[in-house]
Order: sequence, then structure tokens, then C-alpha cells
Amino acid sequence: MRDIKQVVLEVLQAILPITLAVLIMQLTVTRMPPNLIIQFVIGAIMATTGMALFLLGVKIGLLPMGEAIGSELPKRGALIHMLAIVFLIGFAVTIAEPDVIVLTDQVDTVSGGAISQNLLIYVIAIGIGFFTAMAIFRIVSGFPITYLLLFGYAIVLTLSFFSPSDYVAVAFDSGGVTTGPMTVPVILSLGIGFTSVLAGKSAISDGFGLIGLASIGPIIGIMLLGMIMG
Amino acid sequence: MTEIVILEGAGDTFLHVLRSLLPLLFIFLVFQFLFLKLPREYVLNLVKGLLLSLVGLALFLQGVKIGFMPVGRAMGETLGTIEYKWLLIPFGFLMGFLATFSEPAVRILSDQVEKSSSSFIPKKMVLGTISIGVATLVTLGVTKIVYGIPFLYIIIPGYIVALILIWLSDRTFVSIAFDAGGVATGPMAVTFLLSMAVGIASTMDDRDPVTDGFGLIALIALAPILSIMLLGIIFGKKLKKMEEEK
Repeated sequence: MRDIKQVVLEVLQAILPITLAVLIMQLTVTRMPPNLIIQFVIGAIMATTGMALFLLGVKIGLLPMGEAIGSELPKRGALIHMLAIVFLIGFAVTIAEPDVIVLTDQVDTVSGGAISQNLLIYVIAIGIGFFTAMAIFRIVSGFPITYLLLFGYAIVLTLSFFSPSDYVAVAFDSGGVTTGPMTVPVILSLGIGFTSVLAGKSAISDGFGLIGLASIGPIIGIMLLGMIMG
Repeated sequence: MTEIVILEGAGDTFLHVLRSLLPLLFIFLVFQFLFLKLPREYVLNLVKGLLLSLVGLALFLQGVKIGFMPVGRAMGETLGTIEYKWLLIPFGFLMGFLATFSEPAVRILSDQVEKSSSSFIPKKMVLGTISIGVATLVTLGVTKIVYGIPFLYIIIPGYIVALILIWLSDRTFVSIAFDAGGVATGPMAVTFLLSMAVGIASTMDDRDPVTDGFGLIALIALAPILSIMLLGIIFGKKLKKMEEEK
């Protein structure tokens, strides 16, 4: 399979530089215990192998799966059904996203339980579900994405002045963290699959931006949460 | 002598990834049986791919956790104590670039952009732009930790600039830019760069590693938004020139 060779090459290109950089650092500047270096090399090999398998799996499985669902969506019933399904997909993949669990756990600990992990997970998941649905709605309605992004981030900036600063910090982090390596190919291919079956829409001009829009959701959600609780 | 840790927490990692996979699989199967009715071998292949990505991601995450996280922390701690503070700048830049360069989701996005634009926007260009953007802001973030600049002073003007750029940049690039912001904060960046930042912060008395760490992630998310939109401005000019030459 030529695919495999291509992926392996890509992964080597990706991880080798950082591995070499760290090793060079170790020889020159840092003085880490040898066991740590061995652990690092093992970890780097695992990461390389893992990434190769992952990218392969994404190519064969995840991306086609997302595109299949995305391209099927417009054929099924009313807009409201589509949006509900997309909301559910966004919600479901976020609830289970490892990064979300890690982040909310940290926040729960750091805030001494004031911000409960479960509440935060739901707020983030609802935020993502809602904004992903809005992103799909935007594609259908043709409303320019630039306005939505502008509007969304303008609200984010405004809220950042009113929300307590701890919540603001967590909010901005959650926006980036919540779109992890598993959800990204899915949402990406969902958008691309979706636009591919709509007349007059192309993947390059309309298919992207879902992740960007979805990320706004948790940021606003958590800052609002902060304003309610604070 | 510190022990070599390889499989600690591997079970948890695997289960976490599995958990994130199940909703997807479930939704797809629902779609498949109700609507899609794709041929069986095709679906089998899809599920095979899903399993591959499950194993692959779990392996990757574990490798990053046991390899890159402690090393990042150790590097950060060492660098936080060196005399020549200015060295942190090239160092932060290099690490920021390399960590993003190795991020799987960044490559997936770059690849999709190239495919969807029929190679008009090459994958290497997207990858490079995102990596350089993150490198720049990581440098800023590291400087922020060392010199104690408040997080909001950097992030708020950053997002204001982003809003301005939305007006100026080509529409397609705006969408890609905000997507890029989401993907840059992936496991490599968040684990390695974060632990580095925490390492640096821990060597300074009045820094709170948690706040500084949190702030860095937000900067990493902002960086590609700015750099890709800047790329969009350049492309926009290029496109205009092409139109005028027609």
C-alpha cells in the first residue's frame, strides 16, 4: 500500500525534528537524567508509530465516515432535523473528548470544587453543539462566515471584560483545547461532505470554519457561567 | 535513579480515546443502517480505519505523555534558571514551531485545505504558516512568563487584531484561520509546550504555573488565526493581480 509509505514518511518528517531538537538540547544545555532521555526516546517512538497508525486510520475511516454523514444530511428532511443531528454530534463528541476531561478536571481542582467538572463539561459540550449547528445553518443560509466570526469573537471580547478573570482564562483555553485530534477530522469532514452535495457551495469556500465557529461556543459558555456564578 | 515509565496510565488513555470514538461510531452506524446503506466491505473498511485511529491515537497520546511531557518540564525548568534570559526567545520559537509541526490535527487540516483548493493552497504553506504563527506567539508567551506581563494585555489586543484582520483578509482564509486555531492546540502543543511553560514558571517565585500555563494555550490557539489571515491578505493581493492580468 503506497498510502502506508506516504504516511510513514510524513510522520517521520513531523516528529523527527522535535525529537532531534530535544536530544541536541540534552547534549548541550540541559542535563536530564539518562533514564529520562531513554524514556523520551521510547515515548518518541511510540508517538511516531501511534501517529502513523492514527493518520492512516483517519484517512481510511474517520474522514470518509464524516463525509458520508455530512453529505447525507441535506437529503434527510427539514433543516431543523439536520441542525438537531449536528448539535447531537457536536455535543456527543465533546463529552467524550479526552482533552475536555483533562481541562475540566484541572479547573475543578484548581478552583477547589467551585467550578464542578461535570457542569463545565456540559457547558462546553452544549457550546460546541450549538455553534456547530449554527455553522451548518450558516452554510445553508449563505450568511457570510466572516460576519458570524466577527460577531462571535466581538461578543467574546466584550464578555471578557465582564466575566471574572479566572473564568476568562479557562474560557479561552477551552476554546482551543476542546477540538481534539479525534473531533477535528470528524467535524472537518462533516463540513466538507455537507458542502459537497449542496449546489453552489464548494468545500474550500464554505466547508471550513466549522471548527473555528464551534470553538467560540465553549468560550462564551464558560464566560457566561462565570458571570452567573461570580 | 528515576525509573523508566512507559505504560503508566496507558489503560486510561486507551479508554479515553475509546470513549471519544464510541459516539462517532454509534452515530455513523445509525446513519448507515437507516440512510446510507453503503456496501458492507466499505463499511468494514471504515470501521477498520476507526480502530486503527483508536490504537494510533492512544499510542501517540501515551508516547507524548511519558516522553514529551516530563522532558518539556525538565527543559523548562533548566531554561528558567539560565543566566542569559534572551536565549529563551530563540528557544521558545524553535520549540513552538517544532511542536506545532508535529501536531497530527494540524497536518490533517493542511491536507484537507490543499485537497479542497485543488492544490491552490499547498499543504506545506498552511502547515508552515500555522507553525510559524505559533512559534511567534509561544516566544511571546515565554517572554510573558519571564517578565511577568499580564495575560490579558496580550490576548485582548491579539483578538482585536484578529477582528481587524477578518475585514482585510480573503474570506476563505478567514474560515481556515479559525479552524487552524482550534487544531493547533492539540496534544503535542498542549502537553509539551504547556509542561515547558509550567517548568519555566516554576523556577520563578511569583509566577503561578497554572495561570501562566492556561494563558499559553490561549496564545497557541490565537496564533494560527493571525498568521493564516495574514497569509490570506497576501493571497488576496496575489488573486487580485491575477484578475487584473486577465
